[in-house]
Amino acid sequence: MKLSRQEDLRLVTGRGKFTADWHFDGQLHAYMVRSDHAHAKIVSIDLEQARAAPGVEAILTAQDMANAGFGAIPSGPDLTGVNGQAQKKAPMPVLAQDVVRFVGQPVLAVIAQSPQMARDAAELVMIEYEELPLVVGVHDALQDGAPQLHASVPANLGLEFESGDARAVEQAFEQARHVTTLRVSSQRLVGNPMELRACLAVHDAARNKTVVYTPNQGMNGMLASLAAVSGWPLETLEVQAQDVGGSFGLRSGAGPEHAIVMLAARQLGRPVKWVASRTEQFISEWHGRALTIEGSVALDADGRILAMRFNDWVDLGAYICYFAGFIGTNNLSVTMGGVYQVAALHMRSRLVYTNTVPISSYRGAGRPDMAYAIERLIDQAAAEHGFDPIALRRKNFIPKEAFPYTTANGTVYDCGDFHGVLDQALVLSDYAGFPARRQASAMQGRLRGIGVACYLESSGMSRAPKDQVSCEFDADGTLTLFGVTGPSGQGHETAFAKIVGDGLGLSAEGIRYRPSDPGHVLVGNGTGGSRSLYGAGSAFKHLVARIIEQGRPHAASVLGVEGQLLDYQDGRYRDRTAKAEASSISLPELARALAGSKPHPLNCQADAFSGVTFPNGCHIAELEIDPQTGTSEVVAYFACDDLGYVVSPQLAQGQVHGGVVQGVGQAFGEHAVYDQESGQLLTGSFVDYVMPRAGCIANVHTAYHPVPTALNALGSKGVGEAGCSGSLPALANAMMSVLLPMGIAPMDMPFSPVKVWQALRDTAPTQGL
Amino acid sequence: MNIELVVNGQPRVALVEENTLLVDLLREQFGLTGSHVGCDTSQCGCCTVHVNGQAVKACTMLAVQADGCDVLTVEGLTPAGSGQTLHPVQQAFSTCHGLQCGFCTPGMIMATVDLLKHCPQPNDEQIREGLSGNLCRCTGYLNIVEAVKVAAQTMRGQP
Repeated sequence: MKLSRQEDLRLVTGRGKFTADWHFDGQLHAYMVRSDHAHAKIVSIDLEQARAAPGVEAILTAQDMANAGFGAIPSGPDLTGVNGQAQKKAPMPVLAQDVVRFVGQPVLAVIAQSPQMARDAAELVMIEYEELPLVVGVHDALQDGAPQLHASVPANLGLEFESGDARAVEQAFEQARHVTTLRVSSQRLVGNPMELRACLAVHDAARNKTVVYTPNQGMNGMLASLAAVSGWPLETLEVQAQDVGGSFGLRSGAGPEHAIVMLAARQLGRPVKWVASRTEQFISEWHGRALTIEGSVALDADGRILAMRFNDWVDLGAYICYFAGFIGTNNLSVTMGGVYQVAALHMRSRLVYTNTVPISSYRGAGRPDMAYAIERLIDQAAAEHGFDPIALRRKNFIPKEAFPYTTANGTVYDCGDFHGVLDQALVLSDYAGFPARRQASAMQGRLRGIGVACYLESSGMSRAPKDQVSCEFDADGTLTLFGVTGPSGQGHETAFAKIVGDGLGLSAEGIRYRPSDPGHVLVGNGTGGSRSLYGAGSAFKHLVARIIEQGRPHAASVLGVEGQLLDYQDGRYRDRTAKAEASSISLPELARALAGSKPHPLNCQADAFSGVTFPNGCHIAELEIDPQTGTSEVVAYFACDDLGYVVSPQLAQGQVHGGVVQGVGQAFGEHAVYDQESGQLLTGSFVDYVMPRAGCIANVHTAYHPVPTALNALGSKGVGEAGCSGSLPALANAMMSVLLPMGIAPMDMPFSPVKVWQALRDTAPTQGL
Repeated sequence: MNIELVVNGQPRVALVEENTLLVDLLREQFGLTGSHVGCDTSQCGCCTVHVNGQAVKACTMLAVQADGCDVLTVEGLTPAGSGQTLHPVQQAFSTCHGLQCGFCTPGMIMATVDLLKHCPQPNDEQIREGLSGNLCRCTGYLNIVEAVKVAAQTMRGQP
């Protein structure tokens, strides 16, 4: 029985343990009473009947949270805008006080003996609301006279940010022969990890610790947010998770429900558990994307890019939570030149409050959106001004010899080979053979399109001073690794064991990785920005060297030779001056021999500091549209990525697949749609919100064109978000390659059948569609 | 209400409310937490089990409706300590990297076992149909579809 990953045995046999699977005797259950209004004053709350309901132990209100000293949900870094303006932050309270600002906002929490009792009691809560005017959508929110969400944020404008040189860009546009402007929207999405959000708090009075079981992306981020919300010292908090059922950026920090179960568990002296329903997931877990980007490109007569300019509108939702500000500023601007040499760049973005669920990170968090805007703009410019889209890209690529390359707004790309990546993708996809395939499709009455996208993104920066890891050997020589980056499907247990196993010359199968073990508190980042593999992975690479050096004197002493005479190879220390195998000892043998000493003499720590990397690639999508129905089928998909050094091709491919299909979801179906009048989420369940399903895409080919980076010990660039960054523009460009030549105006995602069918019908009535 | 049923080959009795869902009985009373709850509209399929040999979303059935039934959950495909190797579908999901976070996996596996029982050599369309009631957010389904094909081959005795 050979399994692909160390994680797999428990997960395929149903013995994984997700947060809802934890159970403690005597545990109570929380149910959140949420606003059903998008914007309203809370006039009165009557809890009398609810408090008297069977099984109710407590009902927590905003006042209770304030009395306990709880603060707001973390609102991310304080950003500076145009002319040094400070950001106007409206952080989200744990429970709404006086005013509710989105449908789904928590108002009260009922704690009862069973989930059913909590839910039933919640039905008896009487809240009187006075409706206020509401606003959905950034452009409406910025209109004069628009409803105001926060007294502290005039005009709903949280920040106006800029990056680059506006004057230089303006001059370049004045000299341009060709100018193209395209506004695209990367629509609001619901991340929807399959595991429902959940938390379970257990207060251990003996240790004075409140243990919070919850899906997370690493203990340090979650702990910091729990401490920030509660005001409780870090050392009184502990985070636990065994298996995490997807995260995609959503689960790095605490939500209101975490604060509720923590406080209730301490006050009531019993474990308190909360598990979301999928409906709650839709109306309360941070949404993603919700970005509108208007790009303009200035070209000279030969198609050389002179400048690019972006105007962005960032829908924050009703409050600013976690990474929303960072997404709308840094993540959009850091790679706004894409893979191109652009002498002048400028971006202006506006962070806007609306009566909707707050936004935070969702796979890529601004990077795929920017790649989407750039690569659609390039195709649009090619179409408008008669350039071949491939030739236009080639003419403007940053050439290999230009690295390290500093962009016009100051980002330093360390390495890349954009021509090589594109060449490989064109061959892989048989790009040259497309006209024949289009002809064949046309014979069957289908419209075939091809889209190319050359994306570049920046991986996440290190928020911690370094990534630290450690290891322990037990009595039988088994090696256990510890780190603080938290997996949610990426296969960390397999990848880190492989890095260490390969380095030590041992089988990875015997090496365990335990993420975020409360007994092993380390400095380091959580999962995010595609950086776990190279962040923690580089530290594990250093750990290998540390283990070998730490074992050397012990091996020398066992073998009775000088340490410097020992070579370490294939898992053994060998006396290089001796011929006989007897003068060698394997690492596991040595570990077993030393097991009597406590702590084990080979236990050690290592760390690494890894810089921001620039994963990039060329994705090519081919699709067919059925003009009778407007449905699109992605008939072939090619992803050629430069991820730097690839530790595990199988795991990397899994990440690319997952990212590409989340892109397929966004391109063809997913959209969190709000009713403009009522502010209700119209796509609030899997019945209305179009998730990708099995078979939604087949025939996906992945390839790598690695240009290892020198910015981390592994040489890896990161893979988690690449699939989204490549697929959004490749799929959209394939779509537009069909529609633009038919005279149809540029269209926004999702390219739903009805939208496509209507566009075809309206534009081409004479073609008998 | 008292009910009697067979779960993973073991006779069980339970006292349940009339509105208890089968999935909650399995998870809360029997501790069979391999069947997961991923939605509230019977769309995600994470709770798929077999009732009298048929794949069923355990959130769509009341526990009382399972009175007298034979229920198989993912834990019963290879009982712990039975020394059995993995079911070919479980093995194929791992071999093909058909799981990442693993939350949808038990439901996917139970749906696949059911599909292959009725359709031992499924084509792409039949796989798409057979898994249309199961959502996965991590894998993009590509390796899941591959796993179904590999499992089908193994079960037909073609390595």
